[in-house]
Amino acid sequence: MKPAIMPAVFGLLVLTLWESAVRINGVPEYILPSPTAIIMALWTSGPELLGALAVTLQVTVAALILAAVTGAGIAFALAQWKTAEQTLFPYAVFLQVTPIVTVAPFIIIWVENIFVVLLILAWMSAVFPIISNTLLGLKSADANLKDMFRLYGASRWQTATRLLAPSALPYFLGGLRISGGLALIGTVVAEMVAGTSGTYSGLASRLMEASYRLELARALACFVLLSATGFALYLLLDALSRRLLRHWHESARHES
Amino acid sequence: MSESAIRLNRVAKTFPNGTVALSPVTLSIAPGSFTSLVGPSGCGKSTLLRLIAGLTEPTAGAMTRTARPGGTSFVFQDATLMPWATVADNVALPLRLAGVADIKTKVDEALERVGLAGFGASYPRELSGGMKMRVSIARAVVIGPELLLMDEPFAALDEFTRFKLNDDLLALWQNNRWTVIFVTHSIREAVFLSDRIVIMSPRPGRVVADMAINLPQRDADLRLGHDFADQCARVSAALGDAMHAGAAA
Ligand SMILES: Nc1ncnc2c1ncn2[C@@H]1O[C@H](COP(=O)(O)OP(=O)(O)O)[C@@H](O)[C@H]1O
Ligand SMILES: [Mg+2]
Repeated sequence: MKPAIMPAVFGLLVLTLWESAVRINGVPEYILPSPTAIIMALWTSGPELLGALAVTLQVTVAALILAAVTGAGIAFALAQWKTAEQTLFPYAVFLQVTPIVTVAPFIIIWVENIFVVLLILAWMSAVFPIISNTLLGLKSADANLKDMFRLYGASRWQTATRLLAPSALPYFLGGLRISGGLALIGTVVAEMVAGTSGTYSGLASRLMEASYRLELARALACFVLLSATGFALYLLLDALSRRLLRHWHESARHES
Repeated sequence: MSESAIRLNRVAKTFPNGTVALSPVTLSIAPGSFTSLVGPSGCGKSTLLRLIAGLTEPTAGAMTRTARPGGTSFVFQDATLMPWATVADNVALPLRLAGVADIKTKVDEALERVGLAGFGASYPRELSGGMKMRVSIARAVVIGPELLLMDEPFAALDEFTRFKLNDDLLALWQNNRWTVIFVTHSIREAVFLSDRIVIMSPRPGRVVADMAINLPQRDADLRLGHDFADQCARVSAALGDAMHAGAAA
């Protein structure tokens, strides 16, 4: 209870100051809308913006699932074959450090379907933390347990599913929590760069449109929705992680 | 003596980094015997146990074992349990890996034997150190091992828990007569449990003393008697000589 009160009070305080500053100084809405104006915009355009959010979320969630599956798969492959890791891991790092904005123009040229364009770009933003975390988890499996499996004649498959995968799970979930936010950021950036409109118009493209038209209250309403979505995504993935690890991992220890 | 359960013939181990962990060791272990291995830290006891288990290869010499494949169990100093699995699933591991049938009965029986009946659904983190070690022992004995290798299994436990586990291990062994090789730093523990104590020199380890322990009627009261104290003194003196032998070499 208590920890939730302090941020709430702080937030209210900031919003009140903002509201009064805008009203007292008579700041026009196309420079800085007041919080009540943003709430009005949220209210009036609510259904339409939620529709756009659904489009954005569709890409984000699809990209995250794809990143989870491919990231875990790539990590497993790299862990099984040392040469593969030495050969390919530098390219995974490359994927991570390259700003996706710079790749977007090429993807847009090569791929026709806009959903697939957005998906590729969001996946590229999200996949690396999953690869690197899962790889770390696979490598940190207990050495004595590995010997135990060897002693009892475990097959490669048995060792992978019964020892390596559970050892890597907490690390994988840690990566997934980071990647959730990155997938959303990736989708938003991709929407902005791709300049999607009409048929495939997500919340980020609405934000851009609104800001071009100087409808700042509406633009900020989009912003609020996107932030809230990112936050909710994090909470969701955190809850998932706690649930999966509740019996055994320290990170999930103080759950009620 | 019947055929040896294990026979080591001038077995040596040098690690790739140049560490000579074992100078040639020749040793033969009788089936159904309880042998303790004592010696200073770093003298190669764990290495010797891992060699016998087949977890690492000797760099020289030859070894023969009669234990069937999958008939050897290992107990480490840490309980080495899978934290994500229940006690029952941990104990069932060797059976599952071997594809054995009727797992539940065997697991329940093993838990019963180590005094943990009813704890099958618990997770390792809910257990004390002593109980975790009991789970580890249940996992080792669930396959009906021919050879049981134990590497300082009770070193991390308090003295009280350790005595209790010693008593229970002794009773288990007396009922089942597995071949046991037991590494320990405790002379009292070694004398209490073993019918034979092998003493190793400082690194590179070799066998410097090999003594039979003859004690009547082993049980918890044994620790109080004169015989027990005498045997401890004898082993202690031999261990002192071993350290000297190492220093002189
Ligand atoms: N994998 C390894 N690589 C290199 N040196 C090792 C390795 N394992 C053990 N050693 C060394 O071999 C020696 C014997 O180790 P160990 O068998 O663990 O001794 P003990 O169990 O008697 O304390 C030590 O000096 C140790 O540092
Ligand atoms: Mg050791």
